[in-house]
Amino acid sequence: MNTHEYDAVVIGGGIAGFIAALKIVDAGYKTAVISRGDPVCCLSTGCIDVLSNSDNPLKAIKDLSEDHPYQIVGKKGVTEALEYFIEIMKETALPYRGEVKKNRGILTPVGTIKKTCLVPETMKNAIGDNEEPIHVISFKGIKDFYPSYITSRISNSGFSVFDAKSVTTLGIAGRFEDRDFLRSFISWAQDLDIPHVKIALPAVLGLNEPLKIMKELSLRTNKEIFEIPTLPPSIPGMRLFRALKSALEVRGGHIYWGKPVSSVERQGSRVEAITLATSGKPSRVCGRSFILATGSFVSGGLFALRDSVRETVFDLPVFVPGHRKDWFNNNFFTQGHEIEKAGVLIDPSFRPKDSNLENLFVCGSIIAHSEIMKNQCGHGIAIATGAAAAMKCIKELS
Amino acid sequence: MIKTDVIIIGGGATGCGLARDLTLRGVHHYLVEKGDFANGATGACHGLLHSGARYVVNDPDAAKECITENTILRRIARKCVEITGGLFVRLPGDSKRYRDKFLKNCEEVGISTEVLSPSRALDLVENLNPSLEEAIRVPDCSIDPFRLCMLNAYTSRHRGGGVLIHHEVIDIVREKGRCVGVKAQDRFNSQIKEIRARIIINATGAWGESIAHMAGSEAPMTLSKGSLIISNHRLTNMVINRLRAPSDGDIIVPNEAVCLAGTTSVPVTDPDNIEVDPHEVDIVASQAEQMIPMFGSTRLIRAYTGVRPLLKASSGDSRNISRGFQIIDHKNGMYSILGGKLSTYRLMAEKMVDTIMNEFGLNVSCSTADIPLDGQDELSGYPLSKRLKKMDNIVCECELVTRDDVEHAINSIGTQHIGDIQHRTRLGMGPCQGGFCTYRALGIMQEIGRVSPEESLLVLKEFLQRRFRGIKPALWGDQLREEQLVEGIYLGILNMGQQ
Repeated sequence: MNTHEYDAVVIGGGIAGFIAALKIVDAGYKTAVISRGDPVCCLSTGCIDVLSNSDNPLKAIKDLSEDHPYQIVGKKGVTEALEYFIEIMKETALPYRGEVKKNRGILTPVGTIKKTCLVPETMKNAIGDNEEPIHVISFKGIKDFYPSYITSRISNSGFSVFDAKSVTTLGIAGRFEDRDFLRSFISWAQDLDIPHVKIALPAVLGLNEPLKIMKELSLRTNKEIFEIPTLPPSIPGMRLFRALKSALEVRGGHIYWGKPVSSVERQGSRVEAITLATSGKPSRVCGRSFILATGSFVSGGLFALRDSVRETVFDLPVFVPGHRKDWFNNNFFTQGHEIEKAGVLIDPSFRPKDSNLENLFVCGSIIAHSEIMKNQCGHGIAIATGAAAAMKCIKELS
Repeated sequence: MIKTDVIIIGGGATGCGLARDLTLRGVHHYLVEKGDFANGATGACHGLLHSGARYVVNDPDAAKECITENTILRRIARKCVEITGGLFVRLPGDSKRYRDKFLKNCEEVGISTEVLSPSRALDLVENLNPSLEEAIRVPDCSIDPFRLCMLNAYTSRHRGGGVLIHHEVIDIVREKGRCVGVKAQDRFNSQIKEIRARIIINATGAWGESIAHMAGSEAPMTLSKGSLIISNHRLTNMVINRLRAPSDGDIIVPNEAVCLAGTTSVPVTDPDNIEVDPHEVDIVASQAEQMIPMFGSTRLIRAYTGVRPLLKASSGDSRNISRGFQIIDHKNGMYSILGGKLSTYRLMAEKMVDTIMNEFGLNVSCSTADIPLDGQDELSGYPLSKRLKKMDNIVCECELVTRDDVEHAINSIGTQHIGDIQHRTRLGMGPCQGGFCTYRALGIMQEIGRVSPEESLLVLKEFLQRRFRGIKPALWGDQLREEQLVEGIYLGILNMGQQ
C-alpha cells in the first residue's frame, strides 16, 4: 500500500471541499482533496444562492433558526467567504458578479425569475423581471429547453431555432468550442434581424471559454447576450467545478479523483488516515487534520435507511428529524421537507458534536439544519462553511 | 345527441372486455371512461394473471374461474401475458396443513402443481430465501393491464364502437323511471355529450355505488385499499407467492424491468381519496423480503394503491369476501357488474353480454375466448434494439422512449394528458419516475401545439404533485437521493416552488 502524507485532507470535491482546500493551501499547508467523481454542483445553475428567498441575503441571516450554519459562521464570515470566492474566480475563465447585500434575478428555462446572489459573467445581462422583451435562441430538438415557456411569459418576445446537429446541452456546448461552428452560428444570428436589445440562450456557450464566445457573439450581433441555466447536466455548473479544480491545482493542491474512501483509521480522538479504494494498489492518505465535505443525500454524504440516516465516511452521529412519516410534506412544491434538517451537528469550532474527534472538521450541506431547499442557500452554505471550517483547521495546524 | 344500443361506463378491464364482446356479437355501444383506460383497480393491481392457486383454499369456485381464464388469456392475449410461471414458497413456520389442503384443492380444481425441493426452487429463482422448506410451481403469469384494456378497446374502436376516454359521466338521463342515457363531460374542454342507449352497464368498479345512485339504484359494495411497491430491479422471473392463507405482502410479480410486491387490505370509503401509508410500505417490504431477501436492500421506486371493489359481505374482514362477481339488474335499464378481478374480466364480460343478448332477444354466442385480441401484431413488445437505433432522440432515458414515440402517442389519441403518454410508451416508469422526462414530454406537447405553454406548466405541476404522492411513502436510500435531485431541479433551477 502506498502512503501519502498531507497537512490537511479534504474529503469531498464539491464547492465546500474546494473552497476549504484553497484556503488551507493559501495558508501554506500541503493539502489533498479526495473525490468520488463529479460533484453535485455540476447539476446546478452555477449561480451562488446565499439566501434566495430574500432581497438582501446578508440581512436575512438573522431570521434563520439559530441552528443554521450561517449563524455559526456569522455575517462577517459569510461576507468574507463570498469575497474570497469572487477573488478566486477572477483568476479563472469564469469570473463571478454580484454582491452579498443584494440578490438579483435570473431567467429560468420555464420563464420564471429566480433570485440568486452571485452569477457567472455569462448571466450578468440576465433580465431581472418579466418586463423587458428579449429574443431567445434555441436549438433544434434540444431536449431540455423549450423557448415558448419563456416567450409566453414575456410580452413582445420572440425566439429562433438553430440546428446545431446535437440535442443535448453538453453536445451543443462541445460544438461551440469549434471555431467553424461558432462562425456559422454567428452569421446565422446576424441574419436574423432581431429587434430586441437582448439575446438569451440556454447555457451552452462552450465549456472552456464562455466569456470569449459571448463577447464575440455580442460584438458581431451588436446585442447584449446572456445565458439561461438549464437542467442537469448543467454547463455553468460544470464550468464552476472545473474552475475551482484548476484553481486548486495551480496552487499545488493535490486531487485524488474518482476514488471513494474505503476505510478510516482512528487513534484515540484523532483521525490518522483514510484508505482509498482504487483499482490497483489501495492508497493510504494520512493527514494532520481532516475536513469532511461530502455533502448531503444527493452527493452521498448522507444515506437514509428506512427510519434512520447514516453519515457514510466516519459514521458520525447524525441528527434525524423524527420518523420517516414526518420527513416529507404532502405538497411537493413546498420548499423544503423536514428531512432537509438531517445532518451532522457541529460545535462552534466546526468539529462534529458528540464524536470526540479533535482533528476532524465538517463543512457544506452535510451540516445539520442547512435546509438548502427551504432557505435556497445551496452554494452559499458550501462557500461560507468551507471557508469557516478551513480557518478552524488552519488554527489547529499552526 | 349520440344514439347507441349499449353504454358501458368504465374503461377498466371489465368495461373494455364488454366493449370487445359486444363488438364481436355485433351490438353497437359506447364506452365512457372518466380517465384513461385502466384508471381504477385495473391499473393499480399486481398485473398478476392468477392461476387460481391464491384462492384455492378459501374460494375454490373463484380459483376454478381463474384457471379457466388463465388458459384462455395465455392463448388470446399473447402480447399482454408473460408466461412466467409462479412459485408458492413455504418458509419455516408456515403451516403444513395449509400446504396439504392447497395441493388437494389445486388438484380438484384443475390447477397443475409441481412440488419442488429448495434447491430446485433456487435453481429457478436464485434470489429466493435459501431457507425455504419447499416451493410449489403453478401456472401464474404476469399480465400488462394497460395493454390488455387498450387491445380490448382496439377491437371496438376499429369496428364501429364508440370509445370516449377522459369523459366523466355526470348524470344518468332518466325518462319515466327508466335509464335512457348518460351525460358525459369532456375532461379537457368541459363540453357535455349526451348519449342515449337501450341499456347502460355500470362497470365502474369502486365507483359502482355512486353511478348506481345516479340511476336511483343501489349497488352495495365493500371497498378495500390494497397498496403495492415497485422495486427498481427484476429480482425474479417468476411470480412468487407465500404458501399460507392470503395476507399482507404475500405476492411478488415481475413486470418488464421491475417487480411489484403487495398487497395490504385496508377498508376505505372514498375511492377518490386514497393514499399509501408509509406503514403499509414497511409491511409489504418486510414481507416481500422474507420471500426474496434482496427486496430489503433494493431501491423502491414508488408505492401505489388501488381499491378492490368487493361484494358487500356481512363478515368484517375484507380478505374473506369472495373475489367472485355479481351482475345486478336494477330493473330500470341499468345493470351493474360488481366484484370480480382482472384475471376473470373476460368471463365477467361474457356473462354480462349474455344477459343483454337475452334481453335484446338476440342469439349470438360469445366468441371472445376463441379469437385472439386484435391489434397485437402492431405491438412489438419491448424491442430494445429498435429503441436504441434512435438513441440521440431519447426523451426518457430510463425506459428508452424516443421523441418519435412521444409524438406518436400524442398525435394518435390527441391527448393532453401526461398519463396517457406514460401508459402507451412507458415514459416515466423507470427509476426517476418522470422527474426528467415529463418536462420534456410536455415541452414536446406544447411545441406541436397540443397545449399552450401555460397549460403545459399546469399539467407539469399536477403531475409532479401526483408523482410525489406515489414516491413519498417509500422514500429512503437511493430513491431519496434521486428525489432530492428532482426537487433541486423544479424548486431550485426552475423556481417553481412556493415558500
